[in-house]
Amino acid sequence: MIVAEQKPLEDIIRMIVPYERVLILGCGTCMTVCDAGGEREVSFLHNALQLAQARSGEGAHTFSEHTVKRQCDPEFLEALGEKTADVDVILSLGCGIGVQAIAEYLPDMPVLPGVNTSFMGMTKESGVWDERCAACGECRLEDTGGICPITRCTKGILNGPCAGVKNGKCEANKDMDCAWILIYQRLERLQQLDKMRRYYPPRNFRAIPRPRRIMSKAETVTGESNG
Amino acid sequence: MNVANTSYPVNRTENVPDHSLVPPCQDACPLHMDIREYVGLVSQGRIMEALQVIRTGNPFPSICAYVCTHPCEDACRRSQVDKPIAIRSLKRFAVEFGGDRMVQAEAETTHAEKVAIVGSGPAGLACAYYLKKFGYPVTVLEAHSELGGMLRVGIPQYRLPREVLDIEVKRLTRMGVEIRTDTRVVSLDLLFELGYKAIFITIGAHQSLRMGIEGEESPGVIDGATFLREVNLGLKPSLGRKVAVVGGGNVAIDAARTAIRLGVKKVSILYRRTRAEMPADPAEIEQALEEGIDIRYLVTPTKVKRENKRLNVTCIKMKLGKPDESGRQRPVPVKGSKFSEQIDTLIAAIGQAPQTPDDFGVRIGKGSTIQVDPNTLTTNRAGVFAGGDAVTGPATVTEALAAGRLAALRIVDYLQHRYPLPVKEAKEKLSGDLLPETIEMIKKIERAEPPSLASEVRARDFEPIELVYSWEQAINEARRCLRCGVGVEILFQDKCATCLTCLRVCPYHVPHLDASGAICIPADQCQACGICVAECPAKAIVLRKPFDRRQVNDELSHAIKSAAELKNKPLIIGFCCQYGLFGTGTLADLWRGAGAGVSIVPVLCVAKVEASHILSAFETGAEGVFIAGCGEQCARENTTYWVQQRVAKVRKVLGSIGLEPERLQVFALGTTTEDPVEELDKFVEQIGSLRLASVIKGEVKS
Repeated sequence: MIVAEQKPLEDIIRMIVPYERVLILGCGTCMTVCDAGGEREVSFLHNALQLAQARSGEGAHTFSEHTVKRQCDPEFLEALGEKTADVDVILSLGCGIGVQAIAEYLPDMPVLPGVNTSFMGMTKESGVWDERCAACGECRLEDTGGICPITRCTKGILNGPCAGVKNGKCEANKDMDCAWILIYQRLERLQQLDKMRRYYPPRNFRAIPRPRRIMSKAETVTGESNG
Repeated sequence: MNVANTSYPVNRTENVPDHSLVPPCQDACPLHMDIREYVGLVSQGRIMEALQVIRTGNPFPSICAYVCTHPCEDACRRSQVDKPIAIRSLKRFAVEFGGDRMVQAEAETTHAEKVAIVGSGPAGLACAYYLKKFGYPVTVLEAHSELGGMLRVGIPQYRLPREVLDIEVKRLTRMGVEIRTDTRVVSLDLLFELGYKAIFITIGAHQSLRMGIEGEESPGVIDGATFLREVNLGLKPSLGRKVAVVGGGNVAIDAARTAIRLGVKKVSILYRRTRAEMPADPAEIEQALEEGIDIRYLVTPTKVKRENKRLNVTCIKMKLGKPDESGRQRPVPVKGSKFSEQIDTLIAAIGQAPQTPDDFGVRIGKGSTIQVDPNTLTTNRAGVFAGGDAVTGPATVTEALAAGRLAALRIVDYLQHRYPLPVKEAKEKLSGDLLPETIEMIKKIERAEPPSLASEVRARDFEPIELVYSWEQAINEARRCLRCGVGVEILFQDKCATCLTCLRVCPYHVPHLDASGAICIPADQCQACGICVAECPAKAIVLRKPFDRRQVNDELSHAIKSAAELKNKPLIIGFCCQYGLFGTGTLADLWRGAGAGVSIVPVLCVAKVEASHILSAFETGAEGVFIAGCGEQCARENTTYWVQQRVAKVRKVLGSIGLEPERLQVFALGTTTEDPVEELDKFVEQIGSLRLASVIKGEVKS
């Protein structure tokens, strides 16, 4: 899941200054799950912006709110319909992908990001999310017992642990487990400690051509007759 | 600024109907009273409203408050946690403190068809009450000199004070019900000739069953119903020093306890089975034992002989054999265990049956009861209905009241030539037991029994023995209610992101994932604390009752409206829990004691106050907001924790728009050692100075 956190209220207030009618648009998928932009957060932000405006006596915004099932698919954006007719800007509480999907879908409508998209992660407990994947495009979890050293080691090293480990914790943060100790312990449980003995060559940091694209459908040559 | 034009989102919950389920207590009640509702109102200290709910469902709540056998308490699911809610005692509290005696019942006669009611027991009186309410002229015909049937001649005064009954009778008279006492009806034809269009027979079951033993006719042997009738009508039968009562039902217990109140030195009850099989109310058995009555189990008399002005009773010991058709073990005599005893009076209370005059011409079925259609209460004669003990055999007051009400409805149908519509249950019933993991998390709170007279005092006379709860006791008892069936539901499955927040925040482990990966919140487990409603990031969860869904918003806008007249004063809005302590008067104290400019928004547990509500309060111009919950005394789990989470979130917003976080405070008034009013005064003072500071700052800026 994509994890994000709402931008500080001050930033949002600053962003919307040029616009009068603001539609706060939530996303019903990842942003709902990570408490950053679901329907509840949308209406909370709505209240907060109105309160800020009432207290400061500055600005003459009118706000409206709506939440779509998922901002990153244009079909869901169709449900917006007339809701965008009377607004000057959309304040999206979707992740960075959602913001861009809206920009693409509504070419004449300015879109503002209301959240800082942060990482891909999992729920640790209610209200706590941890990063687990860096989307490096070259997954090595087979060799590391299902624990990712790229995200969970501060240095992201491939042949750990480094000398900075102390009592199983990282030198950068003594509350943080050393990913490589975790990897060692798990491989030991799985009786795959031989994987620790291997040397992994440095990652290939050549620039990955962006943007990446994945196609799961077969490409057919246009004009070719299918029968 | 343009707040007026702000387009709020359409509230999708607005038109959602009531999805609450019928709780087990209501389902068990013969009158189907809305028990959960009135217990809830009592827990908030809203006694008048509780009484209103009670009166809607029960024609004679004061009577039930004394004598109901409370099947609701037997069905109460709190017994799976600790002990059931003391529902009858709470009703007693509501009728006493709510002033049921003062309630005026009025009725106008709008129809011409006269209805005769034969018998004035609970069924007859209830039928008369409702028929009169529907506008029919009603005549109640009673063979005895006073109205009430078994309420008057069967139930001892220490259980039902006669003035309670008299008040109900007076109320009926004032409503215009015609009453004819000392009138024994021998023929229904005569009634029809007199112009009555419909007749309701409710003659009760006053005829005692015979023991069928030798010497039963001897002087000194009396049947229970007759004995109670004589005492209740003011006679003082002489019983001697030693009395034995045969039987194990409520009549046997009533007879024994009456005997002891008449000054008999030694009263024993002979019962042929054991205590476990005794049909009498366990609480009554307990009270009888406290009063010094000796209950002898597995004993039955076989012969009575009158000798020297006393009775020589031969008894035999019994043992329990194979179960009979009633499912109870059949008692079998133990050979050679006969013994004799000298007593003065033997009271046989082994059951009663109705005695219907043959001239009524109604079909009689098993146990001399009148045969009726159970849905319409019609007999084999046109226009003749029957109900109560005469139809069911000896049963409870509440069942009789229910029969009376049903008869009234069916008689109206009959008189208006309507086909009686089958009663359709509009709501689903809540069924199923609480799961062990839910039970484990429910706070155990001891059941508070109402005070009662000490056993040595009460056995002296016929004073009512059960007293009334104090205000605080009643409210704390009512707070124990688990509110079965008004929990939450995922109303919008399409919105649910299956984020599992509800599953994680629920203190009672109620939400769970089904095999297909969808989240389920079973209605029979939910404790209606409301935490998940406020925490659901998709706003997909709502409380099942529309009133509960709107409550905080409605109260907030009401408070704002009434505060609108206040000017130049720091407006403070306080969300205060209305349950428990606040219901006991602390809330009222706050109200009165609070300095000018404090508006209180009563909420049903602070866990239902969402972060948005707090912001809304500030948005309407409040200078300070506080949330006051019951703290440790809250009957639900984790409520304070979640309030603090939301407060932290709102404080962050306050900080970023330049308002001091101290403007938002949480009080756990249940635990504080400080006087809540004093604490609140301090807060008001603080807000006042903050406001002054901000005004000065504003002026300096400009």
